[in-house]
Amino acid sequence: MSFQLQLQCHKQPDVVERVLRVVRHRGFTLNTMSMTPSNCGQKIELSMTVSSLRPAHLLITQVQKLHDVVTLRCIDSQTDNAAISC
Amino acid sequence: MNGAEAIVQTLIHHGVDTVFGYPGGTIMPLYDALFDSPIEHLLCRHEQGAGFSAIGYARSSHRTGVCIATSGPGATNLITALADAMMDSVPIVAITGQVPTGAIGTDAFQEIDILGLSMACTKHSFLVTEPETLCQTLHQAFTLARSGRPGPVLVDIPKDIQQAIASWHPPLDLVANNFHPEKVESDNLHKALGLITSSSRPVAYIGGGVGMANATEELRQFLNITGIPSVCTLKGLGTVNADDPSYLGMLGMHGTRAANTAVQMCDLLIVAGARFDDRVTGKLEAFAPDAKVIHIDIDPAEVNKRRPADITFHQPMQWVLAGLSTHLQNNEWADYCQQLKTEHQWQYNKPGDDIYAPLLLNQLSQRLPDNAIVSCDVGQHQMWVAQHMTFHHTHNHLTSGGLGTMGFGLPAAIGAALARPNDPVVLVSGDGSFMMNIQELNTIRRRQLPIKIVLLDNQKLGMVRQWQELFYDGRYSETDLSDNPDFITLAHAFGIGGKVITHRDEVTCALDEMLDIEGPWLLHVRIDAMENVWPLVPPGASNHEMLEKSS
Repeated sequence: MSFQLQLQCHKQPDVVERVLRVVRHRGFTLNTMSMTPSNCGQKIELSMTVSSLRPAHLLITQVQKLHDVVTLRCIDSQTDNAAISC
Repeated sequence: MNGAEAIVQTLIHHGVDTVFGYPGGTIMPLYDALFDSPIEHLLCRHEQGAGFSAIGYARSSHRTGVCIATSGPGATNLITALADAMMDSVPIVAITGQVPTGAIGTDAFQEIDILGLSMACTKHSFLVTEPETLCQTLHQAFTLARSGRPGPVLVDIPKDIQQAIASWHPPLDLVANNFHPEKVESDNLHKALGLITSSSRPVAYIGGGVGMANATEELRQFLNITGIPSVCTLKGLGTVNADDPSYLGMLGMHGTRAANTAVQMCDLLIVAGARFDDRVTGKLEAFAPDAKVIHIDIDPAEVNKRRPADITFHQPMQWVLAGLSTHLQNNEWADYCQQLKTEHQWQYNKPGDDIYAPLLLNQLSQRLPDNAIVSCDVGQHQMWVAQHMTFHHTHNHLTSGGLGTMGFGLPAAIGAALARPNDPVVLVSGDGSFMMNIQELNTIRRRQLPIKIVLLDNQKLGMVRQWQELFYDGRYSETDLSDNPDFITLAHAFGIGGKVITHRDEVTCALDEMLDIEGPWLLHVRIDAMENVWPLVPPGASNHEMLEKSS
């Protein structure tokens, strides 16, 4: 199953590394990723598509725990429906 | 005030009176500031020992443990302890020195990217790059370590930041933590009560999270009011009152048959502060197959991770347990569980003169006061401690549960002895584990800590040997430890007295002698090399397929 994650994170030098580590360790494959600075300059917007045989919530609940992740939205790539957001 | 002095001031602000560590080049400014500070520093003989001592301190006292190391090897030596704290949700703040900011990324002497290395084994880690952010970063570290599900936080501080001019200030963001239930949460409570009252075979499955949430009393009241039979995980031992007649003991791979049978038969599992760990569930698909699940855990990532729940709670444990406390009439199920408990009581009448470790540990447990702290290492002796000793609070049982780290016990006992100097501390170790942090015997000598060490020596890497016997056709690959040193001579070298016992009739006198001695003591207990831990759920089997000694 493939889905899209849209994250807003504090602009810290290590934040992307932390997110990617969790994606890999929890059994998800990163397919695409883009990063843009947010309007205020203190945050970044991350968008990525990931896939796995594991259900999305197993990744989302782990990513949400990261200290520098502010918001997270998950969109099912097949249906374009927002699956989970925080 | 320089950065190092600001660090000390911040530690004092957070109530830190004891830290564990080992100095080195890049952390020298902090050690200079500690030199005439009111904070007590315990010099361990390895940074891993300092990390585990901080864990023992934190777990036995419900406070945040602090450990300190220099950059490079000092920092990497902390990693195993941080991973242990991460798996067992222990609040630790680790402070590491780092090479000066200008030298970072140049492969400088004793430089390692500890921020990168620590990502998988901390809740969060910080690299301080500006002196003005130092205090706020440390405040954040203490808040993070304790908030939500506790865990370790690392703060990496370059030497020039420790030397720079700094000013101390209190935390900027004081967050009120008052809980006010909303309608949806109250509705959830009513639904859970409906499940509880309609169930005919409920069981409470209790983990270490209850004690961490300071909800032990509420849990005991819940069990007392409902009369629901209970089981505990390894880390939950001590949460349920040991005298509670409905308590069935530890569940899982080396759990009691009563606990595992009741869980397998139950139609409702009330899970509090536990996470369906693989050592608990055995074959997951066959675990409590008929049970609906109410899962109470502060960490949303643990709910629906390995077993879907019908109702979940992330609210304060005290509020949930108080709300679920309702009188039930279910004598038939309670009587059945009681019958299981009676039928499967531990038997200590093993024939022969050899020392039977389960009996010895039971005899030791009966001699210890309720406030005694027992630290243990990892392996067969760890499971025997869990099975045959009684605990009156989770704070009194220090064990490496999630990571299963050999070498944990000795430094953890040292940390506990400093946290609770008026309570007796006993280390139960095995000959494999004991050698992994043996250098910390000198830390005992340094402070003359009155730690009693019971070393169960089978001259084997016992648990691995047991699995080789049972599951690898007796091919004993590298589990022979018959070349162990003379442990009594070794203890003497560290100024610690001791005694060897080899026969069962020596046990009670030796235990009494050990407990009567004022200072530290090593009781070296030679046990049968082929003794196994029973019962055992084999790997891949479900929990009702337990092997007993005769199988």
